Amino acid sequence: MNPAATSEDTIVQEITIKAPAGCIFAALTNPEETLKWWAAEGKFRATHVKSDLRPGGRWSMRVVSDRTGDASCTSVHGEFRAIDPPRLLIFTWIRDEEHHPETLVRWDLEETDGVTTVRVTHSGLTSERLRTRHSGWPLILELLKTYLEKQS
Amino acid sequence: MVTKSRRQHDAVFRAISDPTRREILGILRGGHQTVGGIAANFRMSRPAISKHLRLLHAAGLVVTEKRGTSSVCSLDAKPLRVIDDWLHDYEMFWSESLKSLKKYVEEKQ
Repeated sequence: MNPAATSEDTIVQEITIKAPAGCIFAALTNPEETLKWWAAEGKFRATHVKSDLRPGGRWSMRVVSDRTGDASCTSVHGEFRAIDPPRLLIFTWIRDEEHHPETLVRWDLEETDGVTTVRVTHSGLTSERLRTRHSGWPLILELLKTYLEKQS
Repeated sequence: MVTKSRRQHDAVFRAISDPTRREILGILRGGHQTVGGIAANFRMSRPAISKHLRLLHAAGLVVTEKRGTSSVCSLDAKPLRVIDDWLHDYEMFWSESLKSLKKYVEEKQ
């Protein structure tokens, strides 16, 4: 597991998997498979996954908390923007909560001799609607930085 | 991925979703200001500014204090922490999901 690279509004995570890119692409796009792996014990798990795999097609997923005593859940949906098996998958990611901006998730799969580097890039996490030309997210981050540094 | 206190969370996101309110936060970063002093930076009416201030106040980002006849506003950046947490949650979410994907696909091989 490589460390996460985080810029202002983007999260990048990368992992190397000993499997062909095609298998991984299937795990990402076939709801039956997604349900089998999209979970972290004691943290969260996907319970409903739907996907209409074509450009412009809709997908949706429900993620429930797997923490003891926490019954909360989050629904996420979006639209496929680019499908290029087994290398690239891009879709929008919108949480079914008010005031959360539309964000973009991009999967890049790069296979060499049966080993695939998988990179997921989640961008627009705080921008889109929140950002304007002169003020917006950079200001908020600056405020936060000031606050956190003052504390330490 | 799962929010701690959704109401507080939403209030902060709502507060910073508007450019005028973000500008007000920028003004207050320079130090406290009276409502009139803040309103002087904008073309909109004083009641409109007061409405924005109320939303900032509800999110806990602006603290108002009565001084004589005027209200003095100052910034409290603490609630912005929910946004940091939100980003951190996503970081955890993706890193855990990738680990789980790896386990699933490699075991299937």
